[in-house]
Amino acid sequence: MSVLGRDRGDGFGRGSGAGIGALSLALVSVLLLLSSLYAAQASVFQKARESALTAASPILEAFSGPIGFVSDVFGRVEEYFFVLEQNKALREQVEALRHWEHEARDLSELLAGYEALGLLYPPPKAQPINAVVVGESGDAFNHSMILNAGRDAGVARGQAVVDDRGLVGRVVETAGDAARVLLLTDVQSNIPVFVEGSGVDGILVGRSTARPVIEFTRNDDLFKVAAGQRVVTSGAGGTLPRGLVVGAVAEVGKNEAAVELDANYARTRVVRVINYEFPTVAPDGEREEDPSSELSQTLTSGAEPDVEAVRIAGGEGDG
Amino acid sequence: MAYATRAENLGRFFRAATPTLLGAFGVILWAAPLRLFEGQLPTPLLPLVVVYFWSIYSPSNLPAFGVFLIGIFQDLLAGAPLGLWPTIYLVAIYLVGTQRSYFHGRDQQVVWLGFAVIAVIASAILWSVMSLMSGERLPVGPLAIQMAATVALYPLIAGVFAEFHRRIVIEA
Repeated sequence: MSVLGRDRGDGFGRGSGAGIGALSLALVSVLLLLSSLYAAQASVFQKARESALTAASPILEAFSGPIGFVSDVFGRVEEYFFVLEQNKALREQVEALRHWEHEARDLSELLAGYEALGLLYPPPKAQPINAVVVGESGDAFNHSMILNAGRDAGVARGQAVVDDRGLVGRVVETAGDAARVLLLTDVQSNIPVFVEGSGVDGILVGRSTARPVIEFTRNDDLFKVAAGQRVVTSGAGGTLPRGLVVGAVAEVGKNEAAVELDANYARTRVVRVINYEFPTVAPDGEREEDPSSELSQTLTSGAEPDVEAVRIAGGEGDG
Repeated sequence: MAYATRAENLGRFFRAATPTLLGAFGVILWAAPLRLFEGQLPTPLLPLVVVYFWSIYSPSNLPAFGVFLIGIFQDLLAGAPLGLWPTIYLVAIYLVGTQRSYFHGRDQQVVWLGFAVIAVIASAILWSVMSLMSGERLPVGPLAIQMAATVALYPLIAGVFAEFHRRIVIEA
């Protein structure tokens, strides 16, 4: 290898000319960077991002097949060594879950009863769209994934993305047959969440580390939050549906609490995009009899901060 | 006759564009969900190696505009602010360009050390831009691990590139 470069003939470009080209283009890039700081949502940039996604997604998809196969094989070989332990652990888990299964069956029976009596107004059902993760940002500071389903499949900006464990993130960019998901760990990610058990809600903010933190809207809320409490989406702000599992409170600090996510980004491969129609205030006279639309009316009226309204709803859910 | 010249031209074009295409391939590989060792090892930053290697040994095969394109492609694919990676790569080739004569004929270890310096500078730019944009001091840990992995793998990747350069870019 050291032969290379010893021969000066390898390089035709003489230093200075190339240097000026590089510097002037670097200047252009810095200007681009500054302009994207002020106009990140400009349509030109959006178009460019979209076409890059469209162009790269077939290639990424072609890559992701073999990559998935290889990592599956390695994973399987590794698992052979732990089959007995895993069996035991799984059996114990099934024992523990049986109790929850019965409880869930009882509750759904109860809910069906209420529904039959006309006492229950369930929120509209979500329409999941299945997708495979074909790419991700390998960057230390930009945390996102690329899915192989896009606008053509009904994916739209703002929709929630979940895997078998919990919330993964939310769609921020769509192309014809690809979409970008902003992960919860990204610094730009802000998700309204609700801490079960303490009835407190706040915003889950990414910090570019494995654990995002909840920033609370009020300081005194913090005293009620304890480690181990379950964190779900609150549905405030009307973008994500309420009740998607996010994770659990891991640590309570000053003015914020770190959350251990249920999603494991190193394993996220098959996901569902939740196409959710948010219930809105009905235009006709329906709303007097519909408690759920009353709630959304308080939410949208803006007289009270959203926090209060959601906390009331949370209290109902708990009680 | 005319056909032969056209084929020749096409061949020359592709040979000239090989490092740029390799850089673009590096970006795609970087965006693929490789997740080496269950995501413990971040994907090495292959395009930085491409940019460094060719700007030392044969800058004419990797023009500044090619570097710019690689960077823009990476920004678009990563969802990073547009202009971030081109800035990093172009600063890198400018710095390397000023030190080229020093690196020529040196031991590979020296070139490797030079790459480590460039990786540190690249990380510094990346970190400061992203911190400024997000308005808070971002953790340096993940970035340090990624750059360390890239630097550690440099000799291996550069070895492959040298072979590549000899066989395709120069001869073919």
